[in-house]
Amino acid sequence: MPRSRRSDMRRMGALPLVALAWAMSATAANGPAVGKFGLGKPATSAEIAGWDIDVRPDGAGLPKGRGSVAQGQDIYDARCASCHGTFGESNSYLQIAGGVGTLASDQPIRTTGSKLNHATTLFDYIRRAMPSDNPQSLAADEVYALTAYVLNLNDILPADAALDADSLPKVKMPNRDGFTTAHGFLRRDGKPDTANVACMVNCTTEVRLSSEMPAYALGVHGDLAEQRRATVAIEGLKTTGAVPDAPKPAAGLDSAKRLGCLACHGVDGSGVGPAFRDVAARYRGDGSPSHVPDAEARLLAKVKTGGSGVWGPVPMPGQPQVAEADARAVIQWILSGAR
Amino acid sequence: MADPMKIRANVVGDTTEVKVLMSHEMETGQRKDAQGKTIPAWHIQTVNATWNGKTVLSAQWGPAVAKNPFLSFKFKGGAKGDKVQITWTDTRGDTRTDEATIG
Ligand code: HEC
Ligand code: HEC
Repeated sequence: MPRSRRSDMRRMGALPLVALAWAMSATAANGPAVGKFGLGKPATSAEIAGWDIDVRPDGAGLPKGRGSVAQGQDIYDARCASCHGTFGESNSYLQIAGGVGTLASDQPIRTTGSKLNHATTLFDYIRRAMPSDNPQSLAADEVYALTAYVLNLNDILPADAALDADSLPKVKMPNRDGFTTAHGFLRRDGKPDTANVACMVNCTTEVRLSSEMPAYALGVHGDLAEQRRATVAIEGLKTTGAVPDAPKPAAGLDSAKRLGCLACHGVDGSGVGPAFRDVAARYRGDGSPSHVPDAEARLLAKVKTGGSGVWGPVPMPGQPQVAEADARAVIQWILSGAR
Repeated sequence: MADPMKIRANVVGDTTEVKVLMSHEMETGQRKDAQGKTIPAWHIQTVNATWNGKTVLSAQWGPAVAKNPFLSFKFKGGAKGDKVQITWTDTRGDTRTDEATIG
């Protein structure tokens, strides 16, 4: 659960300069400075103990204390229910109960109770970060009680249960063995979308992102291409009738390569000249506000005789040697979105 | 049989506030499965709440209510120790009744 830590860091982003200035004046007053630069001082064991509050799955790090489900309910109603809901069911902040057993279903409900693999992590998290409006204000007994109650809300502990350093590590979470690293948001051909190995030789030079709808979902909402609103420059996918083939590498792109256009233009990224997708967005004749009626003829003329000042100070030299049919193929490909 | 409801009922002054979390698929009848076949509707249709045997809320629900519904309502009356009972019936005729004590 690293999210809260990350946002803390972000909030502290503005502080380091101030902190550094303070540390420098503090060293002078606090006696011997350490290290090469004479900054800082060794942390005392009391300071380390204050920071070192992590709890391990085997229970290492758990403080003394004890709390019951019933005690936890009272504290929870007073200090947690406003954000997480009476039953931990509210997802306006983060749903902490419910969904146990749904992770492998087609409608997984991801909550603390259904996801977490160790109950000790729940204790650690509550002690470290909750309640979010006043973190680290709870005594150890209260954290044990709240942990017990959150587990009870998830039907993992019975209503008469209590927890302490001995019993907490023995609680088995429903998703104890469910954690994997080899998965992503989507699966493609049985493989996760994120597992990748760094390429060192013969690597792809251009990365193309694409998305697709699974075949079974195509007709569900009629033909998306026909429902496309003319105000946005997004091509609607044709979702009824023959299922379209996977797009072939554009012939226009091949010509652009052959004619040397890519020496100055990127398809998507920057170059001396504008990226072809940016050109497409500017002129595309699709009824969008930026629609330019005679775009094709104008751009053809630009390629033949050259142009300047539209995209920046660098001019494009005229290229009369390029056959008109070739140039037209490239321009049409650009205007169709340079895909 | 469906999982039990979670029910909390608390009296403040002359009003009792009841919160209920039900466990139900609440299938709308409008989704399709991976084969493109419509998944048949299956949702809670009626909800009835009683306080010491007297009806304090009765509701008819349709497919627009989300999975695992959360219901909260208040009624005039109620005292600590009284019983509140909730019953739902779904489109398959399944039914479930659970009870809580007002605290
Ligand atoms: C002011 C609103 C607020 C209050 C009050 C509050 N929380 Fe939270 N809680 C949050 C938010 C927001 C998150 C998500 C933090 C994040 O992911 O960065 C969260 C996350 C959690 C999580 C971790 C969920 C997960 O699976 O990642 C637990 C467990 C939790 N809270 C328990 C509690 C308990 C117990 C209390 C009462 C002592 C409490 N919260 C009080 C807002 C609150
Ligand atoms: C020597 C570098 C260079 C080469 C080679 C080059 N271009 Fe250009 N291109 C540019 C520059 C620079 C601009 C921006 C000119 C401007 O700001 O008006 C440009 C602009 C364009 C535009 C947009 C014109 C406008 O007015 O918006 C198109 C379309 C275009 N190039 C197509 C091509 C095609 C097709 C080829 C290959 C046949 C090609 N370019 C080869 C440098 C080049």
